[in-house]
Amino acid sequence: MKTKPTQRPTLPQTVLLLASSVLLLALAAHNVNAATQKIPRLANGKPDFSGIWQTTSAADYDLEPHSNRKDAPPSAGVVEGFYLPYLPKALEQKQKNFAERDKLDPALKGYTLGVPRGIYYPEPFQIFQRKQDLTLVHQFGHSVRTIHTDGTGHPKDPYDWWLGDSRAHWEGDSLVVDVKHFNDKTWFDRAGNFHSDALHVVETWTFLDPNTIEYKAHIEDPNVFSKPWDLSVMLYRHREKNFQLIEDYRFTLDYDEHYPPKPDGK
Amino acid sequence: MNKKDLLPILFAAGLTFLVTKPVDAHHAFSAEFDAEQPIELKGVVTKLELVNPHSWLYLDVKQPDGNPANWGFEFGAPFSLKQKGITKASLPIGSEVTVQGFRAKNGKNFGYAVTTILSDGRAVKTGGAQDAPGAQENPAQ
Repeated sequence: MKTKPTQRPTLPQTVLLLASSVLLLALAAHNVNAATQKIPRLANGKPDFSGIWQTTSAADYDLEPHSNRKDAPPSAGVVEGFYLPYLPKALEQKQKNFAERDKLDPALKGYTLGVPRGIYYPEPFQIFQRKQDLTLVHQFGHSVRTIHTDGTGHPKDPYDWWLGDSRAHWEGDSLVVDVKHFNDKTWFDRAGNFHSDALHVVETWTFLDPNTIEYKAHIEDPNVFSKPWDLSVMLYRHREKNFQLIEDYRFTLDYDEHYPPKPDGK
Repeated sequence: MNKKDLLPILFAAGLTFLVTKPVDAHHAFSAEFDAEQPIELKGVVTKLELVNPHSWLYLDVKQPDGNPANWGFEFGAPFSLKQKGITKASLPIGSEVTVQGFRAKNGKNFGYAVTTILSDGRAVKTGGAQDAPGAQENPAQ
């Protein structure tokens, strides 16, 4: 079949094309501006992340791409580059963790989930924000985390905190949080992805619109990974009427039948 | 489902209940450690975890055959240790310490540290459990 040779656009056509492109770009920019201008702000003009948030990602099941399993829905993964750059010995440990994840996952013991896992664990958490700090209250495990935004630095004689020590600054409308001084007792997900106490996390929190946060985490741990890596998930605001956090504290479950003590001793 | 069908299920459920040990969380001294088994070990610090609710100190202890065995000792909470002057700087990896305490009931290389003698000779009460023998100061002394 003969095809018609492609014709070059005439000058008026080119001008029209350029003009419409410029118009479309301007409209898009206007929309972005309209969305970011509507985001909630504190009295000092900084974005206000207060509210109850939750991921819809399958990140907590496995950060890496995975097909469906009996214990996990499928996901394309949330890691830039798809797979975590494990050092060879650490990869062996990860594989052992994966094989025994139904016993070893710290979340099954009710342990505090750590950072960043607490953020994309598929249950809600609430943020209370003041100009000097943000307080994150997680539904799971009674975890309460403070992110300091008062310009202070990490402590000089740190402990090994479950949630690390969080110090933040603003880059435009993004909150950038430096987190370190962790212990090595938490995992990144249920699939056995893990870290050492040398973990260093840099989070970036940015509003995409008033009810959506783009959450990014840059992860470094020279004891476990050959290079730093990044993950990204979306957090959505809960807007249901009367929505609230309900405590999810698991240490006591094994003893529930004994409390409160019954008057007849049964 | 009739009663006859239910019996094996009830039996299995009962058995599961009997053999399942409740998860140990924050605990008393006597839940994990044995007051009848005092120990004193000298070793080289391999790790100090200043973590809530209990810190842990890990030591390489030389065995009779010359090989090191790694022992873990439960310490108090990080804040109470700080009040006594214990930080990561005062117990660096590689420093030699002596720990006096009690062995774990499970017979593994774990113990509860009552007194720790640091490399500078300072003796510090490091335990966290209120009911541990010797954890409290004796007012008569």
